[in-house]
Amino acid sequence: MTETPFVAVRNLRRVFDVSMPWLNRMLEGGQKQYLTAVDDVSFTIRRGETFALVGESGSGKSTVARMVVGLMPPSAGEVVIDGVPINDPRRAADVRALRRRIQMIFQDPYASLNPRWRVERIIAEPIRAFSLSASAREVHERVGELLTLVGLHPADGAKFPHEFSGGQRQRIAIARALASKAEFIVCDEPTSALDVSVQAQILNLMRDLQDRFGLTYLFISHNLAVVRHMASRIGVMYLGRIVEIGGGRDLFVRPQHPYTRMLLNAVPDIAMTGRLREAVQGEIPNPINPPSGCTFHPRCPFVFDRCRREVPPLEAGVACHAVSEGRIAAA
Amino acid sequence: MTEPVLSVRDLKVQFVTRRGVLKAIDGVSFDIAPGEVLGVVGESGAGKSVTGSAVIGLIEPPGRIAGGEIRLKGERIDNLAPEAMRRVRGKRIGMIFQDPLTSLNPLYTVGEQLVETIRTHLPLSAGQARRRAIDLLAEVGIPAPDRRIDGYPHEFSGGMRQRVVIALALSAEPELVIADEPTTALDVSVQAQIITLIKRLCAERGTAVMLVTHDMGVIAETADRVAVMYSGRIVEIGPVRDVVKHPLHPYAVGLMGAIPSLETHADRLVQIRGSMPRLSAIPPGCAFHPRCERAFARCAVDRPEPLDRDRRKVACHLYDEAHAEIAS
Repeated sequence: MTETPFVAVRNLRRVFDVSMPWLNRMLEGGQKQYLTAVDDVSFTIRRGETFALVGESGSGKSTVARMVVGLMPPSAGEVVIDGVPINDPRRAADVRALRRRIQMIFQDPYASLNPRWRVERIIAEPIRAFSLSASAREVHERVGELLTLVGLHPADGAKFPHEFSGGQRQRIAIARALASKAEFIVCDEPTSALDVSVQAQILNLMRDLQDRFGLTYLFISHNLAVVRHMASRIGVMYLGRIVEIGGGRDLFVRPQHPYTRMLLNAVPDIAMTGRLREAVQGEIPNPINPPSGCTFHPRCPFVFDRCRREVPPLEAGVACHAVSEGRIAAA
Repeated sequence: MTEPVLSVRDLKVQFVTRRGVLKAIDGVSFDIAPGEVLGVVGESGAGKSVTGSAVIGLIEPPGRIAGGEIRLKGERIDNLAPEAMRRVRGKRIGMIFQDPLTSLNPLYTVGEQLVETIRTHLPLSAGQARRRAIDLLAEVGIPAPDRRIDGYPHEFSGGMRQRVVIALALSAEPELVIADEPTTALDVSVQAQIITLIKRLCAERGTAVMLVTHDMGVIAETADRVAVMYSGRIVEIGPVRDVVKHPLHPYAVGLMGAIPSLETHADRLVQIRGSMPRLSAIPPGCAFHPRCERAFARCAVDRPEPLDRDRRKVACHLYDEAHAEIAS
């Protein structure tokens, strides 16, 4: 790829200190404990593309999202958006200019909208914060326009969030994200709290808006079917690492990493009535004390000695010794 | 046909509030045969969990069962006194809820809770009950059950806790198990293990299962028959394969199309406009008609009753003979 990516994430790492308080450690003994939530994660997103991260709870996907939008500083590695490293203090002025172009949509539309503000004020906040409109009338018109864009009525601006259903609230959150003319939107489980018919409405809306404004999405979800529907490229995360990364279709038709295969096999899907499933073994281990080598090895059917010792590097889109040595046939 | 384990006829559940009577369930009828898994799906507010609660007699005031009857092996249980109902619950009907942490008492070991449940319902000594508890834990797939039995719920992972809850539900050999969103709080890889487990254990014992969930994927794989609920009524009920692959009711059609699938790839998902009406404002006639693409005049005035159609029941005027003639 010669084209420079719009978003580049390089060797991102985030460690949380989960030790007991100092006094308890002194009295009861015990060491400092660290949890590596994200370890050596790299990916790129092209302009106008949807890149998705999937994984189960505790895989670190939301932590990546928070670091990409700059809500949390990484412990190591960097996030470069449109050529600007967002955690570089020397580029503070550029980063400020970049802020307007990055927005986030959260999972819970009940928690992400201020209940004491009217919808108009919620949506107008980014416009005011970035001084994008001069007059109050312009702001009012822009809010009406945005509400129409997400399928609500301009008059809805006078209402409070509690007057809306979950799906409508998520539309308001999308309108707010678009208010600053954002180009890159990080969506953290945007439809997980919604019913399926409402989920379909929101996913369709997000696609329409992407086509219309050329938006770039980083889409975080635990739902493989939703990810398959939305993303052109997908990264599969397990215990803080990307274990497989690839084009949407390839990944679903020819999964390589044993974890990806297992996940695809495990998902209950409406197209699979009456199918016998292979039982999946085990659960995600405790991330404070992850297994040595490849963290998936205790659950992996293809495990051998090297997997217990060495962390497999991400090569040609897969981080697996068995795949790189050609010990497992392509699915 | 064998006698159904559970038979619900024209069940009505209402909530009396200051703003009037809300009809959470309005005329629901279904049967579950021994060893059968009936899936109940619907979106939030459709009444699926209330149906489950009504069957186990856990409707709390201001809610009340306002009509209809519930029979367990032919015996009416909806009008039992609270004390008699308590003996049915746990003994003859087992329950599995969504959040395993709230169904287990954090202050007692898993073993104490199992032994208590077993001894409440079966005439066993403490030693026998403990033996049985260990066997049950082994059966639900908990490794080293003779040691784990003395663990507290917080020492178990989410999936393992749900296994303990399943062991509790099955401890008194119930005839019916009501599982309300049993896998919703779990990760997908664990979800699959739990589904397989519930299905296997109930098949071995001939236990009937009422599986309440919003996840069509879970239903498609686990259930034998499925009931699709909308605004307190069953709009379609029939064999799971038929309903999932060829739904008849326009709401069921929309619901199936709205679910993104791993197997097939669609550019856009089927969209049902609008959202489910509030209980305080259920439209007259067919509750779905304001959102239905195929609604006609009769739908707004006349409430459709379930009609027999291709091995299933559909509550929709489109499938009424009289209308079919007019249409053709």
